Amino acid sequence: MIFASKMPSLRIDQSDLKCKNGCDYFGNPQWQGYCSKCHRELLQRQRRAEKASSATLPKPEQKKPERGIKLASHSSFSKFEEKRLRQSETLKKANLLKFSVFKKSSTDEHDHTPERKPPEFKIPALINEGMKREFRVRFTNLPPQVDRDARVFVHSFIMDVIKCSNVMTVDELSERVQRHYQHFMKYMDTSPHFANAESEIKELLIDFVEKHAMTYLHDLPGVVFSPIGTEDERLDRAMSERIQQLSWVGEKHLECKLDRTDSACSQLLYKAISELLAVDGAAGPGGKLSRVRRACRHVLALCGASASADDLLPALIFTVLKANPPRLVSNINFVTRFCNAQRLMTGEGGYYFTNLCCAVSFIENLTAESLNMDKKEFDCYMAMPASIGGSTWAAALSLCGAAREAAEQRAAARALLADVATLRAEADLLAANADSFEKEIAFKVNDVLANTPLEIKPRREPLRLSSLRNSSIPLIDLETPVDTPAPMKPSEDIPQIKLPEIMPVEEPVTVTFDRTTDEKITQNIIDFQSLEKPSPPKSPQNQPWELKQTGSFELLTPSPLGFTPFDSRSIDELMTPDDFGSDHLAPGLSNINYDIDLSDFSGDNSLAEDTPKEPKDPFSPDGIKKEPVFDPFQPQTSQSSYKNVLEKFDEFSLIDSKSNETSEAFEVVHRTQDSCTPAAAEEPGDPFSPVQKEASILDDSGSPTSACLLPSPLQPQTR
Amino acid sequence: MAREFDHLFKLLIIGDSGVGKSCLLLRFADNTFSGSYITTIGVDFKIRTLEINGERVKLQIWDTAGQERFRTITSTYYRGTHGVIVVYDVTNGESFANVKRWLHEIEQNCDVVNKVLVGNKNDCPSRKVVVTEDAQRFASQMNIPLFETSAKENINVEEMFLTITKMVLRSKLEMKERQNVTANDTVNLKRSHKTKKKCC
Repeated sequence: MIFASKMPSLRIDQSDLKCKNGCDYFGNPQWQGYCSKCHRELLQRQRRAEKASSATLPKPEQKKPERGIKLASHSSFSKFEEKRLRQSETLKKANLLKFSVFKKSSTDEHDHTPERKPPEFKIPALINEGMKREFRVRFTNLPPQVDRDARVFVHSFIMDVIKCSNVMTVDELSERVQRHYQHFMKYMDTSPHFANAESEIKELLIDFVEKHAMTYLHDLPGVVFSPIGTEDERLDRAMSERIQQLSWVGEKHLECKLDRTDSACSQLLYKAISELLAVDGAAGPGGKLSRVRRACRHVLALCGASASADDLLPALIFTVLKANPPRLVSNINFVTRFCNAQRLMTGEGGYYFTNLCCAVSFIENLTAESLNMDKKEFDCYMAMPASIGGSTWAAALSLCGAAREAAEQRAAARALLADVATLRAEADLLAANADSFEKEIAFKVNDVLANTPLEIKPRREPLRLSSLRNSSIPLIDLETPVDTPAPMKPSEDIPQIKLPEIMPVEEPVTVTFDRTTDEKITQNIIDFQSLEKPSPPKSPQNQPWELKQTGSFELLTPSPLGFTPFDSRSIDELMTPDDFGSDHLAPGLSNINYDIDLSDFSGDNSLAEDTPKEPKDPFSPDGIKKEPVFDPFQPQTSQSSYKNVLEKFDEFSLIDSKSNETSEAFEVVHRTQDSCTPAAAEEPGDPFSPVQKEASILDDSGSPTSACLLPSPLQPQTR
Repeated sequence: MAREFDHLFKLLIIGDSGVGKSCLLLRFADNTFSGSYITTIGVDFKIRTLEINGERVKLQIWDTAGQERFRTITSTYYRGTHGVIVVYDVTNGESFANVKRWLHEIEQNCDVVNKVLVGNKNDCPSRKVVVTEDAQRFASQMNIPLFETSAKENINVEEMFLTITKMVLRSKLEMKERQNVTANDTVNLKRSHKTKKKCC
């Protein structure tokens, strides 16, 4: 039958493949099987050929209706139709138009005779490439000729199977596939390339061929895997349902020695089950078989060291019941039909697969008898909803899964920890580098600091001297005593003065709290603070910018000198890096002093005019009203040269009063000095006050302590 | 051709549960002698290569589950089997009574197959239940060679396996001759087939 069915199709193909004129060119269906050359020349022969081909065609068509009937009787017709549709779709996708053509051609052969040859059909290049690559890796000893032969064989094999799948029943197809395998084995036996090859290599090669051919065919729906015309899919569902229904079957029913409490045991079972579940995913019979083999090895290990087939089979049945692998029947049928029969009947894989087949057929035919139990009880179990039975094992297995998951997580965590450790090491290294770098830098800086001051000191003297020269004579008198002593000396002198000075500051504050509203209080406080603080920056005795300030804040300077020892120290500390800079700046600034003072007057006035109004009002009443104490001081100040200026200071009075009280000696000197400078410009006396208020404004904006300290040094710098 | 064997045979051991099938297999596979090699894969699946008349024969021996409940489903085991070893326990009358059922099973699943009947556990005369004469009579009636063996004492095991291997080999060679006789027909078929293939 098979031969008869093949005959016609083969002849048709020949007529399609070759130009009928006998030239080596392939015929084209559009030219009715002739090459383009011969087509026009041989019109008469073409007609004859047409007749011949039409005569040969009917045979396959006769075959097809038969099959259709057979299939219809096999399964429900609708299902068959559905599958058929699906297949035709997929075939179209694969450019296998041939088959749809074949189907249609049942009605009118003549139209389709030219189209019969499918020029579009090609085995995907992937297979060729994959085979080439794998061949090179696995069969290094075999000549490239074998590689080509194998690929040609796989090509023709796939072509043939696809062609025949529509015409043959599954069993016929299986037979044909087996013949292909035998054909290839015969080729290996006779080919000179295999003269020295070992039988193992031959087996590997046939596996290789089988794998590549069947992997491709496996993915074509309805061709070899649960093919059209079989009940594989329905049986799959039935089997799955049955296994679900039998979930209550435990190890006791099957008399296998399994200990559900033993973790190693459940681990092995878990592995076996996961292998069984993977059977469906594996492509090609070889892959499925190896999965089964691994699963059975786990099962065998499960049975113990001295296990025999008497133990293996029940354990395997139990495993299958617990696994409920998807598409079990389809997979088994696929392997039995299209695996190389030689291997399926022999070898370890074959043995285990046979056992699996036994297990499946046992489950199919499972009765109360086969479980050695009462029929009533069995029926009772079977009537039970599937969800009830087997919970203990399910729990054990889920525990296994959880354990495995936990192990994976642990591994991941370990990897993360390792990463963290490396990161930390790197961080440490980085920190160490940073440390060493910092030290290095510090060392270098120290070096530089050690070197630079030596350079600067000589600079200071000439610069200051120059500045002093530029400035008026009395300044020199002041500065020389200030500059010549180290910065510490004045600080030592001043603290003694400070203590008394600070006290009066606190007293007025308390007074203001009592008298003024909250807003005013805050303002007052701030102002007091600001007033206190602007004073300290001026106090730092050594700083060159003091000179400027003294220039600008002549009247303030005397008072701050008393306050500032702390501030001066702090400023010294803060400014240490800048000292040099400031020193550098200082001479320049000191030179500029006069200019700046003028600019301050002009620029600050605009700002000061707005701002002073607000602060002035609170200040003036507060300052004046608060303390009559000031009045007595004022006369003291009035004793000094400029009353107008002192009056303005009275508004900011506290400081002035204190300064007046405490450090008279300095003040007097300063004022004399100051008097000298402003003496040149008495009129700008008004602008001086706004400058002072500037400081207060700045203080308001910034934090009282830091802002007060900083702005004063900043001002000179910027200017 | 460098092949480590000339023939590959598949043997099947069947019999009731507990008659010592696995022990026989173990004994045969673990007993080494010159010119043979053993591959142990599992207790229930053994490979061993023998040399008979200068031809290397690779034996694959499949153990089967003997439980009563699995009897109906063992048909798949028989596929491609060259020889069957039916085992009973000489100390267990029931196992001997079941031999008939096993033989029936074989007949149903295989057309032509070489068989051998083995009474195992023949090492304790006092416990022996199945008399040798009865077994021999039954064996000759069924035209099957009988061996009484002891896997425990390693009695007759080697001989039994050698005998079944020889039988299988002989029948294979006979089959080959028969095929050669009918070779002309097959050649014709093949030729016609080939011409068809060329058509393709």
